Amino acid sequence: MHIPDGLLSIPIIITLWIISILVIILGFLKMGKVFENEDSDKLIPYIGVLGAVIFAFQFVNFPVPGGSSGHLVGGTVVGVILGPWASVILILMVLIVQSLFGDGGIFSLGANTFNMGVIGGVLGFYIVKIFVMILNKTKIGKELKVTLATAIGAYISIVLAAIIAGIEIGLSGTIPIEISVPIMTYWHLLIGIGEAVISALIILFIYKVKPSLISTETMLGVK
Amino acid sequence: MTDSKSLKWPIFTIIVITTALMLMIAIGFTVGILSEDPDGLERMVIDTMGEEWLENLPSVWRPILEWITNDYVAGSIGIILSVIIIMGVFYLITSLKKRRT
Repeated sequence: MHIPDGLLSIPIIITLWIISILVIILGFLKMGKVFENEDSDKLIPYIGVLGAVIFAFQFVNFPVPGGSSGHLVGGTVVGVILGPWASVILILMVLIVQSLFGDGGIFSLGANTFNMGVIGGVLGFYIVKIFVMILNKTKIGKELKVTLATAIGAYISIVLAAIIAGIEIGLSGTIPIEISVPIMTYWHLLIGIGEAVISALIILFIYKVKPSLISTETMLGVK
Repeated sequence: MTDSKSLKWPIFTIIVITTALMLMIAIGFTVGILSEDPDGLERMVIDTMGEEWLENLPSVWRPILEWITNDYVAGSIGIILSVIIIMGVFYLITSLKKRRT
């Protein structure tokens, strides 16, 4: 999912940089009250660890049948833990570290932030919220509700991010859009299963060891 | 600023999880459960344009840590860098937000 340099046209690179920067500014202004509390300092080491977890899971690829592989994107899971706006900033930081190793380009960082942070984190969070509202009508426990909704949200958001990456590449004129979109969608329909499973396991793990880290239950409307 | 006693558990968590992640990477690459195949995007580009085309994409940016070819070393450095950078950025964010309120 990490777009390297040289694959996108300059207008697409500039447009996605502008959008990502605007979302980050908006994100800073809208970030949850959890970051303004007196004891918010205590959260910082856990956020650092969460970033390391996302880096590690993006760094390693799980096999996908048919000669491809996939890795966690993590935008949605971070969105569920820290809130949608903080997730964009955290994903950008992880992408910056990865670009130092050549995984994703530095000029395409805006596009990668848009695809994985904005689509994965912000949009993914609101997809999770919709599914939490649907699951609120059932009698299943709070932990399971958030876990299931995260899995579904993570799956949908990674497929959407792949479609959008396909459109970006197509509009850049590198690969025809009628080829890039269907192929990206096909592979990420498979890769998304891994994203959903890993995201769900991370949420379930946090609920077991430190449920207070999931700061968005009110925002998600969990009942 | 928080006192050192209250940071005991967060620091302990950082050490435990960072070690666990490094182990995960080491075991994953050693046992071979992790894949070296191209990811979805790379697969699409390779299938359409060829592997050589992907490897020769023009870029003025040379990744400064690209010289680290050992996956375990790169993963470990990346994990440590992520913790430091993200903690620094979020410390700045919380400080700025507290100052605003």
